[in-house]
Amino acid sequence: MLFELLTKKYPGMRWWLTQRMTAVFMAVYLVLALIFVVLKSPNDFVHWQQFWQLLWWQLLTFTFFTCLIIHAWLGIRDVMRDYVFNVTLREWLQLVVELVLMAYLVWLGIILWG
Amino acid sequence: MKFSIYRFNPDVDKKPYMQDYDVALHEEDHMLLDALLRIKELDDTLSLRKSCREGVCGSDAMNINGKNGLACITKLTDLEEPVVLRPMPGLPVIRDLVVDMTQFFEHYNSVKPYLINDDPLPETERLQSPEDRAKLDGLYECILCGACTTSCPSFWWNPDKFVGPSGLMQAYRFIVDSRDQAETERLENLEDPYRLYRCHNIMNCVDVCPKKLNPNAAIASIKDLKIVRAKETKKHKKSISIKAV
Repeated sequence: MLFELLTKKYPGMRWWLTQRMTAVFMAVYLVLALIFVVLKSPNDFVHWQQFWQLLWWQLLTFTFFTCLIIHAWLGIRDVMRDYVFNVTLREWLQLVVELVLMAYLVWLGIILWG
Repeated sequence: MKFSIYRFNPDVDKKPYMQDYDVALHEEDHMLLDALLRIKELDDTLSLRKSCREGVCGSDAMNINGKNGLACITKLTDLEEPVVLRPMPGLPVIRDLVVDMTQFFEHYNSVKPYLINDDPLPETERLQSPEDRAKLDGLYECILCGACTTSCPSFWWNPDKFVGPSGLMQAYRFIVDSRDQAETERLENLEDPYRLYRCHNIMNCVDVCPKKLNPNAAIASIKDLKIVRAKETKKHKKSISIKAV
């Protein structure tokens, strides 16, 4: 229902809403993670490893970090818009941030499935 | 009472400086504006704006000990000495405590701060229910002093693009007015990434408003309303397509 608001038709709303939606997802994930860890109580390495081999949990975790990266990207982008007024410099800096964040995502994939 | 006041006369001074005053106040001097008028008796070159002297016109907004406020409703007993007075930040200084508010009023003007209603004029007036009228409370009281907007870091960063708390609160004042017919256009007018969405909920606006208003809540309400309207449009389109089938 809200997806139309994430299109180019809403250049202001789309990023504001994305930031909030990713925040909500991360909050829900953290509560779920806490409940899951308490219920399963993996108290040794074998249990901990089994816990992290559940595919749905891996996917949920990957989504969580994707949300975190999008959230961080938007936050840094906002800060740059406010402080870096030279457009060329800002675009270069944003590119660096995007590359670093993408590297983090790849790294996460290697940790989860490597 | 001791004061340290920002002075700058572009015709004479190369750069601004702070001037100290030690002024003997009279028994009837209760407010900061009274003290400033005493100082003006000693030094008539000091420039400031003032008019109603009771917190209605918003002319004498300035930075008082680091926080924006109105001189006429700031009690002298509440101030630490020396009282440091500066012009409102983020706007060009014309002279001393007088700032150029052109940018501020351009933003205000950009939200079309008047009722837009294409219906024929009624014989008497456009009526509102008490409930609809109540929606304007906390919005219409804004006196456009500029204290909120000029204390907002988002406005300092993007003064030409971000409408600022005062302008946005006025935008919402007309969006929620039941007599207005331009809600869609008003919301679209704020869709640009800068005009509305540079607000980062810093809340300086709420902290300084001399009328104790909450521009931040109005800004949040505009964003919420945009989502509500998008949902309604979607539902409406869906019902039309179902009917067509």
